[in-house]
Amino acid sequence: MVALNPPMPGDRSHRARRLFLWLSALLALVAVVSIQTGASGVSLAGLWDGQGLSPRDKVILWGIRLPRLVMSMLVGAALAVSGAVMQGLFRNPLADPGIVGVGAGASLGAVVGIVLGGLLPVWVLQQAGGQLIGLMAFAGSTGVTLLLYRVATRGGRTSVATMLLAGIAIAALTGAVTGVLVYLADDQQLRTLTFWGLGSLAGATWGKLGAVLPLILPPLLAAPLLARGLNGLALGEAVAAHTGLPVQRIKAGAILIVAAATGASVAVAGGIGFIGIVVPHLLRLSVGPDHRWLLPNAAVLGAALLTLADIAARMVVAPAELPIGIVTALIGAPVFLWILLQRRGVVDL
Amino acid sequence: MIRASNLTVRLRDRAILHGIDFFARLGEVTAIVGPNGSGKTTLMRALTGDLPAEGQIEVAGLNPRTAKPWQMAAIRAVLPQATPMAFPFTVLEVVRLGLQAGLDARQPHLALAALARVGLQGYEARFYQELSGGEQQRVQIARVLAQVSRPGGRWLMLDEPVSSLDIGHQLQIMELAADFAAQGGGVIAVMHDLNLTAMFAQSVALLADGRLLGQGAPRHVLTDRALSAAYRCRIRVNKTPESGTWLLPHLAESN
Amino acid sequence: MIRLAFLLACLAFPAAAQDRIVSLGGSVSEIVAALGAADRLVARDSTTLYPPELIDLPDVGYIRSLSPEGVLSVGPDIILAEDGAGPVEVVEALQQAGVPFVSIPEDPSPEGVLAKIRAVAAALDMPAQGEALAADVAEAFAAVPEPEGQPLRVLFVLAQQGGRLMVGGQGTAADGIIRLAGGMNAATGFSGYKPMTDEAIITAQPDAILMMTRGESHALSDADLLAHPALAVTPAAQIPVIRMDGLLLLGFGPRTPQAARDLHAAIYGG
Repeated sequence: MVALNPPMPGDRSHRARRLFLWLSALLALVAVVSIQTGASGVSLAGLWDGQGLSPRDKVILWGIRLPRLVMSMLVGAALAVSGAVMQGLFRNPLADPGIVGVGAGASLGAVVGIVLGGLLPVWVLQQAGGQLIGLMAFAGSTGVTLLLYRVATRGGRTSVATMLLAGIAIAALTGAVTGVLVYLADDQQLRTLTFWGLGSLAGATWGKLGAVLPLILPPLLAAPLLARGLNGLALGEAVAAHTGLPVQRIKAGAILIVAAATGASVAVAGGIGFIGIVVPHLLRLSVGPDHRWLLPNAAVLGAALLTLADIAARMVVAPAELPIGIVTALIGAPVFLWILLQRRGVVDL
Repeated sequence: MIRASNLTVRLRDRAILHGIDFFARLGEVTAIVGPNGSGKTTLMRALTGDLPAEGQIEVAGLNPRTAKPWQMAAIRAVLPQATPMAFPFTVLEVVRLGLQAGLDARQPHLALAALARVGLQGYEARFYQELSGGEQQRVQIARVLAQVSRPGGRWLMLDEPVSSLDIGHQLQIMELAADFAAQGGGVIAVMHDLNLTAMFAQSVALLADGRLLGQGAPRHVLTDRALSAAYRCRIRVNKTPESGTWLLPHLAESN
Repeated sequence: MIRLAFLLACLAFPAAAQDRIVSLGGSVSEIVAALGAADRLVARDSTTLYPPELIDLPDVGYIRSLSPEGVLSVGPDIILAEDGAGPVEVVEALQQAGVPFVSIPEDPSPEGVLAKIRAVAAALDMPAQGEALAADVAEAFAAVPEPEGQPLRVLFVLAQQGGRLMVGGQGTAADGIIRLAGGMNAATGFSGYKPMTDEAIITAQPDAILMMTRGESHALSDADLLAHPALAVTPAAQIPVIRMDGLLLLGFGPRTPQAARDLHAAIYGG
């Protein structure tokens, strides 16, 4: 391919490729740290010094830390990639699944699950069990995405402007319905709501992972197929089509990817902000907006950052833990502002 | 051959174009001229397949509304009036977007060659968003040139390609277009400058109020009477003494 | 039914002395301490604030957002938790780690307190101490005086938000303690803690306002609260606001008879 030749001026793919290797190394490092770190002080060292692991240590390593690590990597990658795809689709670096109402839909689903879950038939509750909130959140995000698509699509063509406006209206509507449900909620439900909204990976189990893996992994793997299309969309939809891209199919694919990945991550981890905006933005500043590199790099950096944030969430107030949404916002927001200040006037958004 | 027969375009029940018959041949630069709001860009967008239209349109035997995007992209490249870009792409990256169609995607040097042809060598690593309007326009011209880098049997469809350029670059780009046609390609260009049109076009379609006043060689279409009627002012057409090219319009007196 | 299941579950884990207890929930911790097992506690949750010596224990966080490894890191032999500890997946993970996780049923009534005591005692294999404590508490409940004549109407105010009062409705712990103290909850017709409209407050005609003390900084002074336009025209505006420690008032543990007596005295001027 191209970048193996001496790089052309203006061609940043060799840098993006090198960054991918560095980010992968970073992710590997963070993953090892995450497995080794925890309130209990258990580490893999026991495997080598011949003492072996006690049954409780095994549960902590394989039953608690490892699924949590995998979950944080999956959710971090899903958030960053959905953010990048959405921004490419809407040609707007501030677009985020949160903005077009997908996150609001997920929240509405979760609130319905928390507040009205008790009204469901008993057999449903038995089937859903502890997954009820997550399932409802996923249903909410998918429902909103389909509704958006129906509102914004006429004769097979999706209007991005209509979709943005509809997203704002849907977010307002779901917000109002959520408000009504919050009013109806009792004290216990309110507290559950608050903590769900802040996001947490504490509930990661192999069972939960098994449930979200089919929802998160295929979109992550499929996203790079859209890369050329998203690059072309930066020229505008009509021009992209003139360069030979199947624009309608690219848009439908992008919407599906975002709905599945966002819905599933909101479902398992609650609301985690900033990864979806900060990660793609950082990468665009360093190696450019070419989605062929942006998407894989975003997946790896998103995974590494969310895992790091989770380590902080677990360790700072151990043995208790911070909601991870607070950690990502506390770190992400100032970093984002700092970047904006540094880059002011150099590269316009 | 690009041909439109009895072409009518409506926006919200209002007809913008009324029964236009238009054609363009390979080997020629075909210009579309007319006053503001006469339907030039609408005609271009109908020909590119962006607008639904009544009547017949045929681009090298394909219907642009029903053909696959890559089929169309393989035979024609389209330059809109202005192309704002969403993200901080470099100039080289923008030009490479013209290589999406797949035919020439594995020949990255085509992007450099196209940049050189519009006089932007050395601009590869600059950010597109930081260029002036005229430079951006030339980058986009390089992009469409890269898309149809082998002119034979292919088309350039340019909507006001030179409107934001200085006179030197206007001539440069128009010479590129003439060159493209000379190598067996076809060019359709929406033009404002009637002098350039007369200099470079082999065929001119004159529009006014959504109707075609005439199409043919510039000397036959760009007449005092037709131009005065189309632009609603009195225009006299003069010949240059040396070359015999038409220099237009020489404004007599406005009413 | 569910409660019975929990009790049976508790009985299933007797035998081995549990020397390392994690207690989640203020009232459960109080019961553990009252049973004389405070020295066996190794960690608490953030709602465990009494007796004061428990505050020095490691805090595993809020009872509804526990961290599985955080709880396991203190090396518990048994975890006692009020109803509603979670998330569910964390509880599952703790159970997988082989630590008995005992959920203690919650009901804001004297019977509920006695059941809680017996459940905790059973889980800790201290049935004798449990029965003794339950008998003491039951006796104390019986000693709470009854009101003479018509019970007074008490309004529990959780907080004031933008001029509106969040009050304790039916089925809340506030409702339970007011009735135990021989009063009548002035907030009727809804359950849970909800904002109450001005008109409803005037219609309710509370005779007294009950609030929780919040550390040293009382955000809301009597004068500020009673200046509320709706409260100002009720009989409650004529007497000082009754303020009691939140955990004592709403915890429904061994100190509840005490709380009921204090509240009774405050309402009826004992």
